[in-house]
Formats: sequence, C-alpha cells, structure tokens
Amino acid sequence: MTRFRAALAFALLLLLAAPFVLPPYYVTLMLPALAYGIILLGFNLLFGYTGLLSFGHALFVALGAYTVAVMSGRLGVKSLEASIAVAVVVSVVVAVPVGLLCVRYVRIFFGMLTLAFGMLFHSFLFKFYNLTGGDSGIPVVRPSLGGMDFPGLDKTAYLIGPFYFYSLALLLVLAYLMWRIVHSPFGTHLRAIRDNPRKAEYVGVRVHAFRLLAFVISAVYGAVGGTLLAVPVGLADPDLAYWTHSGVLVFMTVLGGFGNFFGPVLGAFVYVALQDQLMSLTQYWRFALGVVLILIIVLFPTGLMGLVERRHSRARPVTEQGDA
Amino acid sequence: MAVFLDILLSGVFHAAVLFLVAGGLQLVFGVQRIVNLACGAFYALGAYFGVTAVTFAMSLGAPAYALLPVLLVAGLSLAVIGPPIERLLRLVYDRDEGFQLLLTFAIMLMSQDVFRFIWGSTPRTLGNLSLAYGQVNVGPTLIPTYKLLVIFASIAIAVGLGLMLQKSRFGRIVRATAENRPMIEALGVNSGRVMVIVFTLGTVLGTVGGALVVPTAAASLDMIVDLVVEAFAVVVIGGLGSMRGALVGALVVGLVRSLAVFYYAEFEMLSIYLIVIVVLIFRPTGLFGKPLE
Amino acid sequence: MSAVLETRSVGKDYGEFRALHDVTLSFSEGEVVAIVGPNGAGKTTLVNVLTGLARPTRGDVLFRGRSIAGMGPVRLAQMGMARAFQLVQVFPQLTVFEAIATAVISQQRRSLDLWHATQAIDAVRSRVAQVADIFGLRERLDGLASYLSQGEKKLLDIATAFALEPQVILLDEPTSGISSSGKRVMMDTLMEAARKTGIKTLLLVEHDMDLVAEYSTRIVAMTEGSVLADLAPAAFFADPQLAATIVGKPHAGAVA
Repeated sequence: MTRFRAALAFALLLLLAAPFVLPPYYVTLMLPALAYGIILLGFNLLFGYTGLLSFGHALFVALGAYTVAVMSGRLGVKSLEASIAVAVVVSVVVAVPVGLLCVRYVRIFFGMLTLAFGMLFHSFLFKFYNLTGGDSGIPVVRPSLGGMDFPGLDKTAYLIGPFYFYSLALLLVLAYLMWRIVHSPFGTHLRAIRDNPRKAEYVGVRVHAFRLLAFVISAVYGAVGGTLLAVPVGLADPDLAYWTHSGVLVFMTVLGGFGNFFGPVLGAFVYVALQDQLMSLTQYWRFALGVVLILIIVLFPTGLMGLVERRHSRARPVTEQGDA
Repeated sequence: MAVFLDILLSGVFHAAVLFLVAGGLQLVFGVQRIVNLACGAFYALGAYFGVTAVTFAMSLGAPAYALLPVLLVAGLSLAVIGPPIERLLRLVYDRDEGFQLLLTFAIMLMSQDVFRFIWGSTPRTLGNLSLAYGQVNVGPTLIPTYKLLVIFASIAIAVGLGLMLQKSRFGRIVRATAENRPMIEALGVNSGRVMVIVFTLGTVLGTVGGALVVPTAAASLDMIVDLVVEAFAVVVIGGLGSMRGALVGALVVGLVRSLAVFYYAEFEMLSIYLIVIVVLIFRPTGLFGKPLE
Repeated sequence: MSAVLETRSVGKDYGEFRALHDVTLSFSEGEVVAIVGPNGAGKTTLVNVLTGLARPTRGDVLFRGRSIAGMGPVRLAQMGMARAFQLVQVFPQLTVFEAIATAVISQQRRSLDLWHATQAIDAVRSRVAQVADIFGLRERLDGLASYLSQGEKKLLDIATAFALEPQVILLDEPTSGISSSGKRVMMDTLMEAARKTGIKTLLLVEHDMDLVAEYSTRIVAMTEGSVLADLAPAAFFADPQLAATIVGKPHAGAVA
C-alpha cells in the first residue's frame, strides 16, 4: 500500500469515527465541509481539469439549497432523495442554456459572464419576495433520509448522526464517480482542452461540447452540495448566490490545491476549520483569511496538496493523479 | 417632463460617479491586464475617508461650501495606497489571470475588516451638508447643485484624462505600454514606473468617486461588494480597456438604473445584468473594446 | 483514381490582397506531394484552405467529393484529415502517453466514455504504444510532454496527427528546426508512419529541395498565389529554370 493510499484510508477512518469521538460542535462543523467537498469536486472539474474559472458557480449551490427548501418547506416533500433528484434536474435545466452561452468564451469573459448570471440569480432571489422569500430566504424543513424520519432524535442528534453519515456517503459516492470521470477518455480530452484548446481541436477534440458537458456536471455537483449545505442551517437565503460566495469557492479550491484530485476536498475542510478558528479568535477573521489567501497565491500556488506532493518529491507538477 | 428630467439627471449623476470607478478599472486593465475586484474597496475607502475628512474640516470651522474641495482632496490624497498595493500585485503579473483575480479578491476581503476596524459597521453619512449648495432650476424641476457640480467635476476629469492619454507624452507611453509592453521596455521606458503610476491613477479615480458620492449616499461596508458588479457591468458594456467605453457604459448603466428604479424597482439590478449578458453574447468585446489577444 | 482532396478554381482574398489565384489541384491516394515555393507565395494560405481553416473567396475545396470549405478542424479530423503545424504545439501538463491517447480516443470515438480509465483501456494502450514505437517515443511515454527535447516535441506533435489515422495528412515543414543530419531520419520515420497507419496521401510544405527530390512523388510549386508547376520530381528538376525560381539557384539533385 503506497503511503498516499494509507493516508487516504486513515482520513476515511477519521471521518467515519468523528461523530463518535468528537464533541457535537465539531461534528456539525464538518457538515458544511462535506457539502463543500461535493461542490468543489464539481467546481474543480471545470477549473482544474478544463481550465475554466467561473465566478458564478454559487448560482448552482443556491439552486440546490432553494430546491430542498421549496420541496421540504413549501411543498411538504420530506424525502431528501426527492429533493436531490429535483435539484439535479433543475441544475441541468439551468446549466445547459447558461453553459451554452458561457462556454463560447474563455478566460476573463467566461468569468464575467458567469459572474453576471450568478448575480442575476441573486437579484431574482432577493427581489421577488413572493416567490423566493426575498432576503429572508425560505426555511428548510428537516428532510427524511432514505424514507426514515428519525422522530426520536432532536435536531443536533439528527445532524451529527444519520445526516452526517448520509452526507459522508454521498461525498464518497460522488467522489468515486468524479474519480472515474476524471480518469476517463472524457477526462483526458478535458485536460487537453485546458492545456491547448487550439491543438485539441486539431486532434479531434470537441472543445465547445465538452466544455459544456463539464459545466453541466459541475453544476449538478454544485446543486447536490447546495442541498446538503442548506439542511443544517435550516435556511436557503440569497447570499448563497452572491458573487463573493463564488469567490470563496475559488479560494477553497486554490487553498487545497486545484492541480490535485483531492485538493479541493481538503481545501473545503481546511477552510471551514480555519474560518471557525479565526472567528473564535477575532472579529476580523475576514482580514486573516485574506492574508491566508495572499500567502497561498504568492508562496504556495499549488495549494496544500501541492506542498504534500513536493515533500514527496514527485516530479510531476500538475496531473490528475492524486496518486494511488 | 419634470419627471423625465429627474430621471435623466439622477441617472447622469450616477453615471458620473460610476464613470470614475470604471475608468479606474479600465486604465488598470488596459495597461496591466488585471481585473481589479478590489475596486469597490477603493470606492468605499474614498467614501469613508471623505466622511472623516469633512467631519474633521467642519470641526475646524470650515464653511459648508468647503464640502466639495475637501472631498476632492480627500479622494486624491488616498493615492498613497496605490504604490504599495501595486507592489503586491506585481508579484503575480506574469501568472495566470485566475491568481490575479484571487489576489484582488483577497485585498477586498481584507479591506472589509480594515474598514470595519477604523470606521465601525454602521454606515457613515454626511447628513445634509450638500444642501449647503442649494438647488438649481433645470427646466421644470429642481436638482441639488451638488449633484450638478459632481457631474461637471466628472466631465472635467474625463476630459483631462482623455487629453492626457491622447496628447501628453506620458499618455502616449501609457497607450503604448497597453499595446505592447516588451516593445516599450526595449525602447528604454521603465515600464515598472509606468505601472505604478497607472495603477495609482486607477486607484485615485475610484477613491475620488467614492468621496464625491458620499454626501448623497452613506459610506457603508456593502459598497465594497456591491459596487464591483455595477462597475463590471459598465466595463463589459463599454468594452474592456476602453475609456470611451467607460463613459458610454456608465451612462447606460446609470440611466437604466434610474429608469428601472422609477418604473419597476424589482428590476433595478436585474435589468443591468440582462444588458450585460446580452452585450457579452452579441458583442463580447463591448461597444468600444479591443479584441482580446 | 478518384481524387481524395481537390481544389476547384480556388481564390482567396484578404481584403485587397489576393493570396490565392484560381488554384485547381487534385490529389489522389498514394501520393506524397511537396508544396514548395518562396515565402509569401501562398503555400500557407493554400494549406489553410485545404484544411478548412480558411474559407475560399472563390471556388471550392472538396475532400472525398464533399465540400469542406471553412469546415472546422474538429469535423475535418473526424472526416479523416489531419494537420501538423510548423510551430510545435504541446499539451504542457499531459504526459506523452496522454497526448497521443487524446488522438487515439478521438480516432476510436471513445471521447464520451466517462467511466473507464484511459490508462486501463487495452485498445487505447496498445494503439498509443504502436504510435510511440513508430516515432521512437516509447521510452518517454510516462514523462511530461513539456520535458521532451525540441526535436522530440516535434515528433510528438506529428505523432498525434498520425494517431488520428487520417486518410490525408498535411505537414507544415516537418523538418524545420531539426538538424540536417536528423532530417532524413525524420522523413524516413514519417514515411514509415504513414505506411503503418494507413495514411493514403501526404502533403508536405517543405523548403529543403533535397528532401523534396528524394521523398516526394509530386511537386506543386507556388508563386504569388498561383500554381507555377505541378510535376513529378524528375520532370521538375529536369528544368533548371523552374528550380531556380523556387530556390534561387540551379539545383542538381534529380532522382531518376
């Protein structure tokens, strides 16, 4: 077993054991980390593997959150599976036209277009009070997991128990799926598009179509993560779609290392932990986070996983192999 | 008719301020190819510092008429933050633009807490000081003189900038650096110095914009994030890197907002985003933009 | 023999400038055609038109009987035409294996496979290994493309074009940037590769007339946007006037 595989197995063990060994506060803290892990797996397909930096990805996160809120809160459909399924469908329906428009452009124009769409959605959520609850948002009613309600459990017990394992399971399944996608011929073509779109065309790679597909897949992951994000909070609110939330997604991804498969997930956990710690230390935690971000950009652009890889003197700078 | 003029003038006032910020963005992008997500921070800084400066001046017994000059000076004096920030950005000049965006994002994050630290979380206003300038009859309607003065100031700055860029030696160097940096360096120009000056100029345009607007709006932490989207809308519509575009884009955004606020408040920002999306689709380089690469 | 690739009275203007002037050419299977001429003669424009990159202002260009005017490179690659450029293009963060695999995946129509690991698909691995063997890159498969020497990068670039198994391949100065001792090796490799990958027609833009003399079956000489001559090498070099116009000095290198 290579060292990396061992580390991975150990991390998995920690994640499984957490609800039993950590105090409830820290377990509930891991919930958004799990959700962001899913979101960022999708985001990095678009960013790290296809080379498209979206500054509006939070749109899909918000879409997922509002889906579960409307389903469970307004329509009384408690099944989380149903909410997730609907979130998937809705995100595809939105991602296809938005993606069709956005992937025709690259780099800064792509970033600006996605930012515009993200803010368009935010504006819609914010202003159309009757539909979306305006800036108060829509509350999320505790969903049932796999048909089970857990009536005996109070909110915290539900969250650190069944909901935690549900989220973890979802993360693992979706991570496995993404692993396959990234290592597949499709993934190879995506990376070719990232590295040299012009040459890729000459090698028969369908650049536009595959950028769109990557965009849609990342949107789906974003929405699924969004549903999980809203449940512990109990609320879906417009801030989820604000452009700075999209910026934080990029922050997390770069923090963990966008050149590595596991980087973004690591980034999610580290960011959530970091933010929590900083918030308890000072009211100026945003400043501290800004400093962290600058340090990463200037000193450790390959992120935390990049540091790990360097330590093991891997000659290959950026590949898709988190190495196994 | 009065209503129409009201909308028009309020739109032009908004455009005047937006032009300053967007102009700053365009300069920096045109020459340094950096998209500055911290432009809202500069704007907010100008607003906050403007409040502080005016309050201080008033406490020294300055007359209410000193409002505009004090604000201008306040905005201009903030030029000092330009060089250190440019120094920081210099570290990522030759990197992927994603990193540059993130760096300006980090600066924006930090500024939120810096301003909170200095000025607190509640918005700061100058009350009704601007009324000291009275009101002016424009046709059938009355508009605060202050707003007119700001519009004129903005026009003056626009003209000054235009002249500088087109006629002066420095302006030519700036335009040349925007077109072809290596060439300019080969010709012996210290492009580093050009960068610092251009960036500082861009910064100052933002801070002056914020300072000038503060009598009519409150200086608040929200400015840091809210302005970015509007400024970007201006830049997209007008075309990345074009000063003329900043002017036209600012007018479009200012007037559309003004109209929307009047007729259908829900659609205020929505209409802007829609225009941005439409422009990006049909004319991605904007009305006056130069094609990228 | 029916024409694989042909142009019919093709003209191409760039604004006022007439880059191509009434060019009618027809290429068949089995030919190795050298397109020669001084700079500015229109060779690149002709190649651009032939590969669908430039839409002819007048006339038409057909591939296997179908008009391909202005058709993008992706569709053309699918139809069976590949091109390698003079300036080496790499995928900086892909390994040599992955670079070639990209082409193989296109050729095998596998690009929508989101499930199987590229490395594990036998059909892809063996094909990549075959192509790598032909171009002498077998040892370098696991390394990053950007770590190759300039010459190896060129080989890789051309290898990816060959891996598409096109019917027609267009090579833009394949030996440029290669030392004179290496040029023949490169040309031999190319010929062998063409044979092994079943390429029917090769078009080369070349400046080195020795190579042209030795390897081509037909020479198309361009000058100022028109075809000056379209002959077999023997006939071409038999006319010293002709060679002189192209090269600038009389050339004695005819192969009987």
